[in-house]
Amino acid sequence: MRHPFLSNQNAIYYSVIWLFISGLYALVLFYSYEYPINEALLDSLVFNGMFAVLGLAFWFIVRYNSFDTDQLINLIASHLAAAALSIAGVIFLSLMLLQRAFPTDEEYLFFLQTSVAWRAGLGLMYYSIIILVYHLIRYYDDLRAKVQSQSQLETMLRESELEMLKSQINPHFIFNSLNSISSLTITAPERARNMVVKLSEFLRYSLGKENNQLNTVEEELNNVLLYLDIEKVRFGDRLNIEKELHPDSMQLQLPNLILQPLLENAIKHGIYESLEKITIQLKTLVEKDVLRIFISNEYDPKAVSKKGKGIGLKNVSQRLELIYGVPQLLFISKTDNLFTVRLDIPQINPEV
Amino acid sequence: MIKAIIIDDEQLARDIILAFLKPFENIEVVQQCSDGFQGLKAVQEIKPDLIFLDIQMPKITGFEMLELIEEPPVVIFSTAFDEYALKAFELNATDYLLKPYTDTRFAEAVKKAIEKIESQAPVKGEIDSLNESRESMGETIDRIVVKTGNKIHILALADIHHFEAQDDYVAVHAEQGKFLKQIRMKHLEENLPNGEFIRIHRSHIVATSAIEKLELYEKDSYLLSLKNGKQLPVSRSGHGRLKEVLRY
Repeated sequence: MRHPFLSNQNAIYYSVIWLFISGLYALVLFYSYEYPINEALLDSLVFNGMFAVLGLAFWFIVRYNSFDTDQLINLIASHLAAAALSIAGVIFLSLMLLQRAFPTDEEYLFFLQTSVAWRAGLGLMYYSIIILVYHLIRYYDDLRAKVQSQSQLETMLRESELEMLKSQINPHFIFNSLNSISSLTITAPERARNMVVKLSEFLRYSLGKENNQLNTVEEELNNVLLYLDIEKVRFGDRLNIEKELHPDSMQLQLPNLILQPLLENAIKHGIYESLEKITIQLKTLVEKDVLRIFISNEYDPKAVSKKGKGIGLKNVSQRLELIYGVPQLLFISKTDNLFTVRLDIPQINPEV
Repeated sequence: MIKAIIIDDEQLARDIILAFLKPFENIEVVQQCSDGFQGLKAVQEIKPDLIFLDIQMPKITGFEMLELIEEPPVVIFSTAFDEYALKAFELNATDYLLKPYTDTRFAEAVKKAIEKIESQAPVKGEIDSLNESRESMGETIDRIVVKTGNKIHILALADIHHFEAQDDYVAVHAEQGKFLKQIRMKHLEENLPNGEFIRIHRSHIVATSAIEKLELYEKDSYLLSLKNGKQLPVSRSGHGRLKEVLRY
């Protein structure tokens, strides 16, 4: 840490304060003790000037000692030594100089002899105040540095968390889709080409998106419908999709790829774990400043599911919390054979 | 003529196998199945020489289905992505196809299978060693698939009270009843979720949640009572593990 009073602006403040103190000191000598103005001024300049210069050096006592409990004795000792030495030095030097300056004024010389006690008191006060100011500056500076590094850390943490929570496209889905395409090239080349285009569009949208980017409901829905289309090629009649989309919702905003993991989840617990035909429903609603999205899938309540402990849902919930700063934005409800996830997306500027 | 069955939950995945099998005139696909239940039934009824088996399927996986077959035919696995399975295959001779695959790669696998079928080498050992390498991969067990006659039961771990070694089998004592399964105690001990099951004896693994009380039976010998009324012996090292998990 640099010396706080040696930077241009602070050096001016420091000098101004000392000039003010010196002026006050001279005025007291001039008015109360009725010494000539030149004696009062010189006394003040010599005595206070020396403290002003020494005061700059006091910084190093504060700078190089810490408040650790095991160092406390050291700290007290160094302060006592510094205070005693500097006060004695200043008094000795200033008396010497002032006696030489006005060797004929008997009354003033007597005053100098008797002034040692209150000069020592004043010196101690100067010392204490300067040290106190230095400590305050140092404390404030440490605090600022701490707050800064903490907020930096928080930002980094949040970014990495978001990165982690971002939906990762299931590799299983990609390879199985490629296998379906491979199969279609033999039996239905046109459908194969079609599916290649769909898969490409889906991947283009899903890969390389920034975390904190917002998208319109329309764009996001297009992407998940593309995904469902591809799954429909794989699963044929087993997958049925119902949509109920409110026209007012289409231009509202939501975090990108937030629906993808939810639909993946619906497919996983619906189609992947069922032998029957499965319906997945997608519904949007607008209520005041909230966009509500419902995603439901039929499921077999008796299924002893392998893997999947709600991590996908938890991730989406956490991601929403990080983006909007509101804890509960994802709701789950279960009936006999219907699993529904509801998202409440606030239509205000998110925190990121 | 070689009798083959295709078991995969996706029509298109079955189609490509059929298409790639065209050049092999001595292989006849006698049935296609879209899940492990149908697959098991077909394998038991038809006793095919060869099965094409997908791993990720609804209800039970290809591996789980295979565990239920006493004398498995030659198997060609196909999978899209399953890190445990892939590692297991790498350690094993059993052939597998990584989706999507070329017709050349497919033909290679089929030729190898035909050789195996013609040499009439028993397949069981190969499947066992595949399962063993899967076990050693540390894939946590999260359910147990068993069969009685032709009926398949999928047991959630929460429904299982206790496993008991019985010769080559393990008796699974569950809410739904008692089932026999070909599995090794060591595999169960190593891959059941930590803390939820404890091996208290050479022949017994119990669910922590099923424990009622532990009693001193004789000096240095304990008896564990389960909530279903069963009493089981506890070995010295089993007692140590009980202490560790239950922290008493």
